[in-house]
Amino acid sequence: MNMKKIILLMIFFAASLYPQNKEPDKILRNVVNNFNRVKDYEVEVIIKVDVEFLKVPKSSAKIFFKQPDKISLKSDGFAMLPRNGFDFSPNSLLKGDYTALYEKEEKIDGRVLTLIKVIPLGTSSDVILSTLWIDENKNVIRKVESTTKMSGTFIIDLEYDEKLNYALPSQMIFSFNIDKMNFPSAMIGETDTRKKRSKMGGDTLTKGKVYVSYSNYIINKGIPDSVFEEENP
Amino acid sequence: MLTLIRIELYKIFKKWRTYIGFIAIGLLVPLIHIAMLIEGERTLNFMTQNIQQSFVFVGNLLNGYLVSHITLASLAVHIPFLITLVAGDLLAGEATSGTYRLLVTRPVTRTQIIISKFLAGIIYTNLLVLWLAVVSLGLGIILFGVGELIVISSETIIIFKQTDVLWRFALGYGLASLGMSVVASLAFLFSSLVENAIGPIISTMAVIIVFLVISALNIEFFSEIKPYLFTNYIMSWRLFFDDPIDTTEVMKATGVLVGHITVFFTSALIIFNRKDILT
Repeated sequence: MNMKKIILLMIFFAASLYPQNKEPDKILRNVVNNFNRVKDYEVEVIIKVDVEFLKVPKSSAKIFFKQPDKISLKSDGFAMLPRNGFDFSPNSLLKGDYTALYEKEEKIDGRVLTLIKVIPLGTSSDVILSTLWIDENKNVIRKVESTTKMSGTFIIDLEYDEKLNYALPSQMIFSFNIDKMNFPSAMIGETDTRKKRSKMGGDTLTKGKVYVSYSNYIINKGIPDSVFEEENP
Repeated sequence: MLTLIRIELYKIFKKWRTYIGFIAIGLLVPLIHIAMLIEGERTLNFMTQNIQQSFVFVGNLLNGYLVSHITLASLAVHIPFLITLVAGDLLAGEATSGTYRLLVTRPVTRTQIIISKFLAGIIYTNLLVLWLAVVSLGLGIILFGVGELIVISSETIIIFKQTDVLWRFALGYGLASLGMSVVASLAFLFSSLVENAIGPIISTMAVIIVFLVISALNIEFFSEIKPYLFTNYIMSWRLFFDDPIDTTEVMKATGVLVGHITVFFTSALIIFNRKDILT
């Protein structure tokens, strides 16, 4: 009898230590609901591109967003953002039908984050698999790793300003792999093809990072649709 | 000396062939600009198609600076032919028109004559490049406005801020002028050898074509001599549209071009001073 009690106590103790199987859909729904408190926003961004073969000066621009999926990048000068990191909203990351699987919890920078795998259903999505690192305390996504059919794997790291009461990031680091390019030599007046070949030789895949700092959010003040009418490339 | 140069410039600009270069550039550059106005967006999309797959970008990349850069890249190889028309005629033209003897009987030394003619030729060459810069940049800015300059080379894409562009054009056109001055010097040297202007014009063009072909051929046999061919440095103005600028290459290109000018001019000077003027 005493032995049975001991075994039951051990099972109870072990069960309390073992992580519970979380509900990934509920976690994602909480993240989406938290983000959906933002009806629209306007934010100033500073973009720094760090790609080996792409030398671009640090640029500033404005991003306009309006629910559910209107987004626009505007700048007085030149600015560029990675297509996959342009819209970081959970609605964009979780659009379409998908299956979500809870994987584990992971401690990053002192925060316990919940890892959820998202597998889009059907064949229309470019994304094959996404892993989301979710901060359940704040109901925000802190990291995304996606594998796509066309663009390889990309990682989005998001940082949030604790003072901001919305699920909008203060910084994004977008890491990706990109193909070095072949350009039409006639267009650029290139004559030394030997030099070109030698430098282009070998692996053409290179890593890149884009750092985006967000500041001066204007949230839920209303943005006219005309702002989004101009065609985005 | 200044009077002599003024006289030589007067002689140059009295001949209609002098204006062929200016007219050609004045017609060709607007044609390129009109073509870019119609097809520019498509050309730019073609140039940046790979990058557009990964990035969204905004801004006026199809601007006067880009069009001017493309124009300079397209024309830099062909302008030498326009220069030889005048530079090849500088000395041989005197022989053709029978004014050689009259010229050398004036109370100036042969060295002064040749220096003034050479400098007048260099001034013409630089004016032609300046005309290209003014028409290309001026018309480009009027038609397309200003913006960041995108420069696509074989291994990099560089986007320069619009505030970081004009000085590059100034230095780029400067180095292009130096390259064209070598062509003028070569035509001038050939001009000192013969008594008919057609010879120097055709000879200079032939040399440029042969050198350009050698520069373009990726054969080991030619790789040793390539660094010494001036045609290899005619496109060195592009070095100013790199980041960072390869100053060693700029110095090397400048050195080779100045060296060629010095050798061609000195040779012409020696030949002319020893020349038995019979016409």
